Amino acid sequence: MKLPRFFGKKRGHRRTGSQAWGSFGEGLFYCGLLVIGLIFAGLLLSGLAVPEWRSGHNFIQTRCTVVGKGLSRHTVINAQGTSVQQWQPCLRVRYQALQLTRDSWSKPLRGGMLNDRPAALKQLAAWRLGEELTCWYDPADSQNVVLERGYNWWMWSMALVLPSVLIIFGGSGLMRAVRVWGKSEERRAASAGLPELFESTDYSPAEAPGYPGVPTCDDLINSPGTILRYRLPVESPESWTLLGFGLFAILWNAVVAVLAVGAGLDLLGGHIDWLLFALLVPFVAVGIASISIFLRSLVLASAVGTSQLEISDHPLRPGQRYDVLLGQGGSGTFRTLKLYLEAEEQATFRQGTDTRTERLIVWSRQIMEWKDMQLTPGIRFETRVSIDIPVDAMHSLTSEHNAVSWRIVVQGTPERWPSFTRIFPVVIFPSADNRLLPLEKRSTPNQELTP
Amino acid sequence: MSSAREVIRDSPNVIVRFNEPHRIYQPRAALILRYSIEGIDNEKVRAVERSVLWYTEGKGEEDLGVHFFERLSDRSKPTPTLTAGSFSTQLPFSPLSYEGVIVKVRWCVRVRIFFEGSRDFVSEHVFEMGQIPPANTGGGRLP
Repeated sequence: MKLPRFFGKKRGHRRTGSQAWGSFGEGLFYCGLLVIGLIFAGLLLSGLAVPEWRSGHNFIQTRCTVVGKGLSRHTVINAQGTSVQQWQPCLRVRYQALQLTRDSWSKPLRGGMLNDRPAALKQLAAWRLGEELTCWYDPADSQNVVLERGYNWWMWSMALVLPSVLIIFGGSGLMRAVRVWGKSEERRAASAGLPELFESTDYSPAEAPGYPGVPTCDDLINSPGTILRYRLPVESPESWTLLGFGLFAILWNAVVAVLAVGAGLDLLGGHIDWLLFALLVPFVAVGIASISIFLRSLVLASAVGTSQLEISDHPLRPGQRYDVLLGQGGSGTFRTLKLYLEAEEQATFRQGTDTRTERLIVWSRQIMEWKDMQLTPGIRFETRVSIDIPVDAMHSLTSEHNAVSWRIVVQGTPERWPSFTRIFPVVIFPSADNRLLPLEKRSTPNQELTP
Repeated sequence: MSSAREVIRDSPNVIVRFNEPHRIYQPRAALILRYSIEGIDNEKVRAVERSVLWYTEGKGEEDLGVHFFERLSDRSKPTPTLTAGSFSTQLPFSPLSYEGVIVKVRWCVRVRIFFEGSRDFVSEHVFEMGQIPPANTGGGRLP
């Protein structure tokens, strides 16, 4: 039998791995997780959860007398390699079980292990010799007796959650690996329904119904325009930068405030922590700088005024003309204000352990340019232009790792402020008229031999 | 009809015939394909998968969408029944074939042959859907 090859075909400058070995390795990994989860669950259930559950349900209640007291000592080796002594109060009790008198050591649940021996002795003193208590013994082993019943919910959560995560993750991964084993990529891609539940959680963009690979434009047509049909949402790179600066300023200054309150309380108490004060100085400096940068960005973003775009229809189709209304707020002089139609390709790929996205504008056409505009505060500049979508335009494309996106771009250069760019995404569907473009006559040999 | 033959040493030859002579299809057009597999000698064919699909090429990871898929694996059928045949499908509206700079979309017909044992052989035959000119050339394109 021939073993699968380790390497598959070369695509571009990358060599794709062997699918068979990849599936095998993936299956092995998930199988390992599943086995670890099952072992972990078995150990936790048999060692902790089941004894606790049995004592709560199967043990028989009776009365007992305390006949002895003592401390149980446990030696624990910690991470540094040194040993630590732990103490737990224990009681020896006498009780009647199955017509016999039994003497047995029982560990009370409350208290648990203590590192401090005097504290354990103090706890032990709470019980008196000769005291009568309620106890429960195991009918299968009457020497096994407990003085308290109940559940350690923390332990039960650990017993359920940790192995469950491993079992679910490993089991679903193993099922996925088994499902794709020996199946062609076409068959896997064609299969749908329940097995999709076990697919990896990669991002799959929403497609327009009836148009595979074309993004839906639902988010772009849910805002009506004031004059034209739809108002397009803005996707401004500056807004994200502003949000980033704002979040950083808030988080950083929150840390500074906590430190400052601590230092202030110390100062009021007459104690000066010089180390804390020394630490506060650079922290406060960075905090002030972050607020300044945020405020500057906020002023820059708001000073030039908002840009608004409305469009007569959506989605767009190649070869069609659409009306666009541009509204630009602000004040002062704009050296230029430009309107573009652009197409951008996006490719997402893995480079080592990183996932990178490369973007490239592959088509750009200026729709209109206005020069030396004087904007009056409170009155926004409004103009209506037409946009012609090229008859041979590629439609918008979206898939898991690749995309072709269209957008209308507003670029402005105010006289007193830095330039700004505001992006309004649009979706272009394939042409409704398939016969817009005459097919070129291409010479393809009738019989072709390809190695 | 347009036809092509794939010849690889020690591999089968898959001869396909498209109903469009230039292998250029409009969206929603009917694609009819005849194929025959030669050169399998005495090897027993376990199954044949035929599919019409699009995939992406370029800088990004490959994405793939299957429009038509059929697996012929009736063990009662003799090998010659599996190794020749035809199928037809109506193409969808999208995605159109596209020759971008970092993103490309290709349409193809794949005939995948599964032999007894674990060996399989795939033959891919590209065709075009729509007629979008390549990006980065012509009017309006950036240099």
